[in-house]
Amino acid sequence: MTATPATTAATRPRSEATPARTEASRPRKRPRSRTRFAPYMFVGPAVVLFVLFMLLPIIYAAYISFTTYKLESGGIFGTQVQVFAGFKNYIAVFQDQALLTGFGNLALYSIIAVPLTLGLALLFALLLDTPGVRATRFAQTAIFIPYAVPGVIAALLWGFMYLPSTSPFSYITEALGWGTIPFLEQSGIYGSIGNIAIWGGVGFNMIIIYTSLRSIPAEIYEAASLDGANEAQIAWRIKVPLVVPALILTGIFSVIGALQLYSEPTTLKPMTDVISQTWVPLMTIYRNAFLTDDLPGAAALSVVLALGTVALSALVLWLSGRRNKGAQS
Amino acid sequence: MTAVAVRERANLHTRKGKTWPTVILMIGALYCLVPVIWVFAAMTKSPSELFTTFSFLPGSGALDNLGDLFSYGGGQYGMWAANSLLYAGVGGVVSTFISTMAGYGLAKYEFKGRSLIFYSILGGVLIPGITLAIPQYLLLSQANMAGGVLSVLLPLIISPFGIYLSRVYASAAVPQDTIEAARLDGASEWGIFLRIGLPMMLPGMVTVFMLQFIGIWNNFLLPFIMLSDQNSYPLTVGLYTLLSKGSGTPALYSVAITGAAISIIPLIALMLFLQRFWRLDLLSGGVKG
Amino acid sequence: MKKSKIATAVATLALSAIVLSGCSAGGSDGAVTLDFWSWAPNTQELVDVWNEENPDIQVRYTDAGGGKDSSAKLLTASRAGNAPDIAAVEYPTLPSLIVADVPLEITDYVSDVTANYADGTLALTTFDGHVMGLPQDVGPMALIYRSDLLAEWGIPVPTTWDEFRTAAAAVREANPDAYIASLPADQWAFYAGVATQAGAEWWSVEDGTWTVGIADEASLEVADFFEGLVADDLISTEPILTPEWNAKANRGEYISWPSALWAPGVIEGVAPETIGNWSMSPFPQWTAGDTGVANQGGSSVIVTKDSEHPEQAAEFVKWLNASDAGAELLINVQNAYPATTAGQESAINNAPPSLMPDQADYYSLAATIASNTIPVTWGPNVNVAESAFTDELQRAIANGTPWRDAFIAVQKTVVDDMTDVGFDITNK
Repeated sequence: MTATPATTAATRPRSEATPARTEASRPRKRPRSRTRFAPYMFVGPAVVLFVLFMLLPIIYAAYISFTTYKLESGGIFGTQVQVFAGFKNYIAVFQDQALLTGFGNLALYSIIAVPLTLGLALLFALLLDTPGVRATRFAQTAIFIPYAVPGVIAALLWGFMYLPSTSPFSYITEALGWGTIPFLEQSGIYGSIGNIAIWGGVGFNMIIIYTSLRSIPAEIYEAASLDGANEAQIAWRIKVPLVVPALILTGIFSVIGALQLYSEPTTLKPMTDVISQTWVPLMTIYRNAFLTDDLPGAAALSVVLALGTVALSALVLWLSGRRNKGAQS
Repeated sequence: MTAVAVRERANLHTRKGKTWPTVILMIGALYCLVPVIWVFAAMTKSPSELFTTFSFLPGSGALDNLGDLFSYGGGQYGMWAANSLLYAGVGGVVSTFISTMAGYGLAKYEFKGRSLIFYSILGGVLIPGITLAIPQYLLLSQANMAGGVLSVLLPLIISPFGIYLSRVYASAAVPQDTIEAARLDGASEWGIFLRIGLPMMLPGMVTVFMLQFIGIWNNFLLPFIMLSDQNSYPLTVGLYTLLSKGSGTPALYSVAITGAAISIIPLIALMLFLQRFWRLDLLSGGVKG
Repeated sequence: MKKSKIATAVATLALSAIVLSGCSAGGSDGAVTLDFWSWAPNTQELVDVWNEENPDIQVRYTDAGGGKDSSAKLLTASRAGNAPDIAAVEYPTLPSLIVADVPLEITDYVSDVTANYADGTLALTTFDGHVMGLPQDVGPMALIYRSDLLAEWGIPVPTTWDEFRTAAAAVREANPDAYIASLPADQWAFYAGVATQAGAEWWSVEDGTWTVGIADEASLEVADFFEGLVADDLISTEPILTPEWNAKANRGEYISWPSALWAPGVIEGVAPETIGNWSMSPFPQWTAGDTGVANQGGSSVIVTKDSEHPEQAAEFVKWLNASDAGAELLINVQNAYPATTAGQESAINNAPPSLMPDQADYYSLAATIASNTIPVTWGPNVNVAESAFTDELQRAIANGTPWRDAFIAVQKTVVDDMTDVGFDITNK
């Protein structure tokens, strides 16, 4: 589109007052309809991709969740066909004992992983922001590096470090006469898996909180330290409340990430006998979809899990909204 | 929302402080680096040393391992690395551009359906990858596209988090007045975006690109389901096949560990390189009142 | 005038379409390319040999991941109409793939090679007279053990499971850190094998009606036996082939691996320093003097219904699995034990596996073992059974509850699942 010389500031109010006549008589587009049309052009590609690769698959998954496989005669053993099954799969989800255990495991894991990830992220961010601290660049980079390691590889690496015969930690404790550390036994498994997630997640969350800290004006601190507050008090009383919005953001991400725990227990599963195939809900989904050929069951469970995640995230937002009236998402 | 200026606290940093913050940070850094150190030490071990020697002692098999790695399957590791670079690089660039466009549109315009579109897309992060992967595969098969490069690229280009970040950054970094002035001068909307909005959003785009690149590089499930030709596998899937060979064949631990070690290097290099361009304050800006 | 022009155009198009499609189907203008999914090591070498000798039938090989992943991908691909022409499939998974309509019946294509197999072997891929694939390799169960350590400790090589128990106790005495073996809960194939050896039939079918026998008395007695070994701390139950197991194998803390003939290659890969210390002997028997063993592992190769060139695909499968040339390659390149009788006989002339270079009679012993395999019928929901079995047994071991109950629970899950899908079952 070329610039229209007529649309100067002086003429704009007049043309806005008489839109119909001028639109009909002038062939060039008016700014108003340009701004009406333009946003769709900008969000268009994203919306198209979203519909194609997120909305449609979800709808398709929902559709599958209402079907099941039945045997029809013919062939050697009969052949499987897909038939409509109503809410059968959803009822099965809520009756599945193993699933309940899976959610229990997830809860235990989350209680360890989420607070520790956020707590350590907050701690490191505050430490980075402390006056007189050294080697911030190195620390920042080192703590962020785990984020760059894919989950499958991280679990493999930590697996080696957990198994008694190859673990440097157990090596040390054994040398000291304390025996091996039960990383991959029932007593230690939640902590061990939690550790992998904490290791991978602290860096990312730390950076979010740290940059939030860095944008707080210095005058606020100067006033407090003039009043005689030490670093720890400044941190606790001033900094933390000011970064609560960032904490909420990282909190929600951590909760969503925790609910979708999958690759760490899956990678560790061959190395220990305390992780079952249905140890967390997402493993159950994978097993149904890929191992026991129950795609409709997997779809139903996915839908339930997604709805549960929405509900939980909404709850977190609502609670934090009540605590912090000014917070916006 | 206005951009909050970051104040330098130079005078505070030159003040002498206690050493324990630094010590704690160093412990944290060490904790984060231990597995990385481990994998590079393990990479130097031959298969028999891998299970018999102390974890951090270097072994004697580094060159052999590297040789095994790059000759495995007639050079597959190189192909996997190239594929990862393709998917993450091209995918990252395209995804960043589309996210930026979408974020700009959502932030700078009032239009019908704006909230619906934004919150729907944001809802996308709530769906686990597993749920989407199989339906995506079935749908793409209908279109005869499963197994091709596009089948891995297209689903990964839509990034709800990237759009969210872009929107926040567009709000903060591109003043409405500048846009209005440009409109008065007669510039087209697209022209305004290209010549004014985009340059202003560049630092935020770097962040989005980096997060997207890492996310696509590390993605395992989607390429695992979509691809059946081992020559199109990215590194994550390729390394996984080294370890899960079914009964009757041992997992190729040494090759897998060497492959894992080598594959981490480009990501770390990328991060170090892009560090100076980081603008994660756009995230904090997004959550302030 | 316009109409006739259109008609001519349409007719020309239709004609050319027919001609072109006829051309591509016959492959007269170019080579036919077939897609082949497998996971066995070094398969590319085998495929290269075929491709050189058969320029008009080119095979494109893809490593589709280990056995379970491969069949899952095969199933998904088949649902999308995308399955490869040829695929390797583990024997237990074959019935469920048949129910999902994946393999093509190839009885007519392979009638000229069926004589190359022993009846029991061919039964692995034949159902009601329909041949659904050709066996590639078999895994007759055998005992791979540290002959040096047993000799050093004066422990005789066990030939029955009772002797195995005695040997296990002796091992624990000789070295409190060592176990004779580890038998974890996820070794479904092992337990299926020993139960079959004891006379249980986990699935059987007659005239389309199934009977599930996982909770047969013979099966439950097997459960009792191994539970007793665990209760007396005579065997370990930690997962095998993990870094932990590998480290212990290197240190001589696992004295044997009751598995199958393909085990030596695996052990060599993770414990190369123990080469020369292992030997192979026949699998322990439930009754002294018996010789029957089941198969653990091994795979077949199928032609899928999605294939557009079934005849050429069958040609490749026949060459790979049923020809002498193929058997040679299987032994030498893939360290697999061929399923054909001729292959097994020719193997006798080969040097023993590098893990036991001094056991000159390895392959002749193997041939004897292979000729005594007990045929097994796998059901249409083996994956469900395996999944339930692994979880139930894992729980039983962790909680110390009777293994019998675990087997009974698995039986119930399998029966319920089959009833649900609509199979005709005698157990209720």
